[in-house]
Amino acid sequence: MWTRKAAFTFTGGIALVLIGMMISNQQMMILGLSLVAFIVVNSWISGHGDVEVQRTLSADNLYKGDDLYVELLVTNRSNRKTQMLDIYDNIPHEMKLRSGLNQMQLNLKPGESARIRYVLRCPLRGHYSIGPVSLRARNTFNLGVEDMYVDHHSDIVIFPQIKDIEEAFLRSRTPKMYTGATTLRTPGQGSEFYSLREYVPGDPFKNINWKAFARTGELMVNEKCRDAVTDLYLILDSRDLARIGTVLKNPLEMGTVSAASLAAFFLKRRDSVALAIYDEKLSYLPPDTGDKQYFKILSALAGVTPKGTMPLQAVTNSLSGRFSRGSPVFVISSCEGDGTVPAAVRDLVGRGHEVTVLSPSSVDFERLVSRIPRMSYEVLKLERQNRLTTLAGSGAQVIDWMPDMDLSQALMQVRGY
Amino acid sequence: MAGEVGLQSDVLMEGTARPRTLHLKNLRRQWQILCLQIVATIALITMYVQVVQTYVVGSIDHTILFDSIELLISDQLPLGDWLTGEGRDGLSRFFVPMVMGLGLGGIMAFIAFQSPKVQQRIKLGFIIGLIVLLVGRLLLSWFAGMLFEFNLRLPDESELETLQWPLLMILSLIILFIYLLPVIMGTRGIWGLSRRSIAWAIGFTLLFLGIHAILTFPLIKGQLGSYGGVLATLESQTSDPTIGLFGLNLVTKEQFDLILIAVLIMVFQEASYGVIRNLEYAFRLPESCKRDPEYVRQMDNVLNTHLRHTFFFLGLTGLATMVALGFHKVLLTVVSDTTGSQWAGQVSESIELTLTYGLVISALLFLSIMAVLRFFIPWQRVIGLIQSRGVKDDTKPAINDFTQL
Repeated sequence: MWTRKAAFTFTGGIALVLIGMMISNQQMMILGLSLVAFIVVNSWISGHGDVEVQRTLSADNLYKGDDLYVELLVTNRSNRKTQMLDIYDNIPHEMKLRSGLNQMQLNLKPGESARIRYVLRCPLRGHYSIGPVSLRARNTFNLGVEDMYVDHHSDIVIFPQIKDIEEAFLRSRTPKMYTGATTLRTPGQGSEFYSLREYVPGDPFKNINWKAFARTGELMVNEKCRDAVTDLYLILDSRDLARIGTVLKNPLEMGTVSAASLAAFFLKRRDSVALAIYDEKLSYLPPDTGDKQYFKILSALAGVTPKGTMPLQAVTNSLSGRFSRGSPVFVISSCEGDGTVPAAVRDLVGRGHEVTVLSPSSVDFERLVSRIPRMSYEVLKLERQNRLTTLAGSGAQVIDWMPDMDLSQALMQVRGY
Repeated sequence: MAGEVGLQSDVLMEGTARPRTLHLKNLRRQWQILCLQIVATIALITMYVQVVQTYVVGSIDHTILFDSIELLISDQLPLGDWLTGEGRDGLSRFFVPMVMGLGLGGIMAFIAFQSPKVQQRIKLGFIIGLIVLLVGRLLLSWFAGMLFEFNLRLPDESELETLQWPLLMILSLIILFIYLLPVIMGTRGIWGLSRRSIAWAIGFTLLFLGIHAILTFPLIKGQLGSYGGVLATLESQTSDPTIGLFGLNLVTKEQFDLILIAVLIMVFQEASYGVIRNLEYAFRLPESCKRDPEYVRQMDNVLNTHLRHTFFFLGLTGLATMVALGFHKVLLTVVSDTTGSQWAGQVSESIELTLTYGLVISALLFLSIMAVLRFFIPWQRVIGLIQSRGVKDDTKPAINDFTQL
């Protein structure tokens, strides 16, 4: 396709020839003919996009906020030069270039390769695809341009960020408090004796076995069996209301981070974790342990988008039968726009579950993007406080999670497990 | 963009070796860039000389204008004859002014790379110098006169006469500046990386050619009377061609000069704009890419291609124009040689053929055939065959090394 420059040159050339003919001026005619000849001669050679593209990623799965290293190897498969070729690797608009550049201007000889390397920052979780590779072949003098693309994609999953949760905040208050709990023969926080071992600096003094010390002359400490809680149920609210706030800070984003962090924490302790996500429909991942479950949970959380208006009671009605008796349940929801939350929580508590409601404060998220009059804000906060008080009255432990509050800081409000 | 060059720092890796990077400071010293700039400068000078030789010298050149002014004021102009070229013959009248123009353009390009503060100081100094040159002597003699005579008065005639010399000097400089505008702006554009200056140089040249063409149009020229008589006119009817290829005479000397002007304008434009385009691309690259050897290698490829294509395609353009202009003769020679009929001889003597219509129609016919030929002759494959023969397989193994990033 002709560029604007080529079109102007050609039109100018023809115009000069015509004017030259009109006023019988050789110089104008010759100048015009030269411009036309320039276009004609340059039309003989054009660039091409016969290139092979190979993209290498530093990882297929990443955590939100991590850097992704991308290398694009472009090889000219033709037996002639590419001429001026602009290569542009299409990246999702959610990702930001941290270093390098996802484009290059090149002219590859036959068989020659060029490597484009760049680093992307992934600030948002989700399932993404890098590609296709756009090519623009240009003439040296920018007279002709041809746009092409190589349909080469690389898929990547950005998991939600995992925050550190201190063991102290989620320690079991009562050993084997739930029916069917298994004793894990692994050392950890607990009450049952596991074994004796040599003292290492940093061990608490209260764990030193003084009798063994008296007997052997060496400092020995008691190790305990870790108390396991078997199944843990995470219920994440992904309704349309959960998008309130900014792209990076909204109840859903905070919810996914907390769900991922809690799942990571409990799975690391070899507990079973189940995940239920409700939006316009209910997605349920049955309880399981291990790395595979961890990957499944993170993948499910990566793909969560706010939509739908399913009430919590519908979720609990559907799932409560499947919940292990007495197992703890985490409800991660802003509790806005759903009148069934108190009833659902009451129902869960009534069934003997230890319910914790982790509630990101949607009023404060809304305040991040729009100016709410002070009086309205106070009223909304009061309404929310009443709602949370009602939930606490139902027997649940309620955490009011403010936008600027860290997860571990929020969890300090409850010391139930 | 020129102002930004000074702000960029060069990069030194460990050791004494200076790596090749795409920082403008390095890139501006790269041989391909220098070569393109030199080609553009040579094209500019040659184009200017050709235009001046064809249209200006002996008819409307600056020395004639200076002579007229000197006759009008009955005095010599302040600028020396050695500088203006007065008293010399032909093109030699332009040698010293051209050197001055190149020098001035170079200085302007140099100033463009200084910091805004220095640029402002230079501009201020120039304006103050101009004011001092213009009214300095007048003010000095007038104030001194008033001081010694203890008399508050207006400047007298002898004091006002001191204005004559600077006014004439500035007038002479302005006249020279207008004559040398393409050279000055062109040099500034090439070496100062200014698109606007290049556009000025080309635009002024084309404007001059356009105005000259209109003024030499017989109807208008007749209206101009004796003034129009001095304008150099190109004959619309061509004489027998003397310059050609493979024994075929295609164009006359006059036509060849005109083709040369057209091709040189294009060489100047493409070489100078090419430099700016590539430097702009390098300038916009992030720091990590400027140090990346891949980007450096590809920049080399692009520049080498640009350099080759500037010579090859623009040379070919000149040849194609030559053949196009002589195509009617080629056609007639072919017809005459193959058929041996009288028709070719009769047609070749036809005045319509050698006049503009026949010439242009046959030229455009040739160019159309050339344009269509690309669909029948696989130029791309032919070129690919040549290119693939000379290329070694230098594909490097893929290494995932992101340390540079």
